[in-house]
Amino acid sequence: MIRRPNQSRTIILLVAPAIVFVIVFFILPLIFLLSQSVVLEDGSFTLTGYLDFFQSRVSRIVYLRTLRLGLIVTGICVLMSYPAAFVLARMPARRRSFLMSLVILPLMTNAVARTFAWLIILGRRGMINQTLLSLDLVETPLRFIFTETAIVLGLTQLFLPLMVLPLVSAMENIPDDVLEAARSLGANRLTTFLRIVVPLSSDGLVLGATLVFTGSVTAFVTPAILGGSRLLLMSTLLRQKAVILFDQHAAAVVAVVMIVTTLAVNLLLRVLRVKQS
Amino acid sequence: MISRWMYISLVILYCFLLGPFIIIFMASFGANANLAFPPQGFTLDWFANVFETSQFIDSFWISLQLALLSTIVSLVMGMPVAYALTRFDFAASGTVETVFSAPILVPGLVIGFAMLNFFVLLGDMQVMTGLFIGHTAILFPYSVRVISASLRNLDPYVEDAAVSLGANRLRGFLLVVLPNMQAGIAAAFVLGFITSFNNVPVSLFLSGPGVTTLPVSMLSYLEYYFDPTIAALSTLLVIFTVVLVQAAERVLGLSQFV
Repeated sequence: MIRRPNQSRTIILLVAPAIVFVIVFFILPLIFLLSQSVVLEDGSFTLTGYLDFFQSRVSRIVYLRTLRLGLIVTGICVLMSYPAAFVLARMPARRRSFLMSLVILPLMTNAVARTFAWLIILGRRGMINQTLLSLDLVETPLRFIFTETAIVLGLTQLFLPLMVLPLVSAMENIPDDVLEAARSLGANRLTTFLRIVVPLSSDGLVLGATLVFTGSVTAFVTPAILGGSRLLLMSTLLRQKAVILFDQHAAAVVAVVMIVTTLAVNLLLRVLRVKQS
Repeated sequence: MISRWMYISLVILYCFLLGPFIIIFMASFGANANLAFPPQGFTLDWFANVFETSQFIDSFWISLQLALLSTIVSLVMGMPVAYALTRFDFAASGTVETVFSAPILVPGLVIGFAMLNFFVLLGDMQVMTGLFIGHTAILFPYSVRVISASLRNLDPYVEDAAVSLGANRLRGFLLVVLPNMQAGIAAAFVLGFITSFNNVPVSLFLSGPGVTTLPVSMLSYLEYYFDPTIAALSTLLVIFTVVLVQAAERVLGLSQFV
């Protein structure tokens, strides 16, 4: 570390431009948003926006649905990623780096393109319906789009890489010796996995779960395409209040609830991580 | 230790991750307009339609400019921050790190909405400026983190050696540190570019009449038309991304930064 007499001046000069940018262009609009949610048009302070939000049946249903689907998506991502991430982490480096780039690939393509595929799979004349019809399992096409299942599938596909990546990098650090020791002391595969691999990769699990859950409860594209206005989540509710109903006060309340939810989850899981280590 | 079931789960994972791309790819060449699957016939009409739809062409150029500009600005402003965080030991470093990770913690849709209300509706700001500010803000976390990682891998004594040999701090940085950070900067650039180029939530509210980003215009196209044009455009974007990411991964090992 460098220590010089005018160190603090140097630090301020280095950090100032970006800090000013973030404060003026990022923090200030958020403070304004917060004020919009508690100030009425005549300038008086009120909490009725929040009361309305939590008393309204519709917004309560939307909020709980958002949280519930977020939990389901996170759970599915954990179950799908854990064993697969272990295989990836134990692979020779060359093959692993190729397979990992395939995990990143979906992450690098925009969400509209990725969600569009589900319209082809789940649509009235889509893959699943055509299969069911040709096997005579159903007589008329089933409706899959605009269901919670569709949203869960879309979100899972969207956020799966965010679970796989931290899990693989956590599991890479588990030495082979530890696993061999567990086996030679008589533990079977399942016991080794549950009692050695899972605890030693819990950092990756917590990070992945945070990313997947907060991503799911704030995602916009997937619920917009696969849920529409019939099946609102918080993000599509925010858009509806702001753009269609043009109720900026209520929209600001929805936005603040979204921020508080994601911050609370991040904080909770950060505490969990500190406790573990 | 690795059982057959684990390999099966790996196969399922990849089917789920990559299956949708194969389906999009097939649908973009299919002749039927109603997206029935499996597609019948073969046509390139949908690709032609992409290039004939002016909203895609216009928004592609806007997305490209926006991604380049906001990535460069976030890098130029983020690099000094990363340098301060990795080379100096100061009391407020924790706070600085928190401030620059904040844009990742706030939902993109909320950022866009807050900026729309504050800058565009209240401050009468131009649409393009609003988009640029929004995208630059959300890129800071990536550029600061990736550049910091790259600076941490570089021995600070190398730079001290240059200074003790008579270079001043700035010259030391430009002539010694910067050339050694090429890989990190390139990785941060690719990551920032792709994040901005693909962003929907921040752009959604900030897009205005005539100024729309490509993903947002794809979304609004979907509201009116339900045909394979989006599949064709998606196929083109996937090819664009595969080339970019594979090149970056080969050269730089991008996955360690994500």
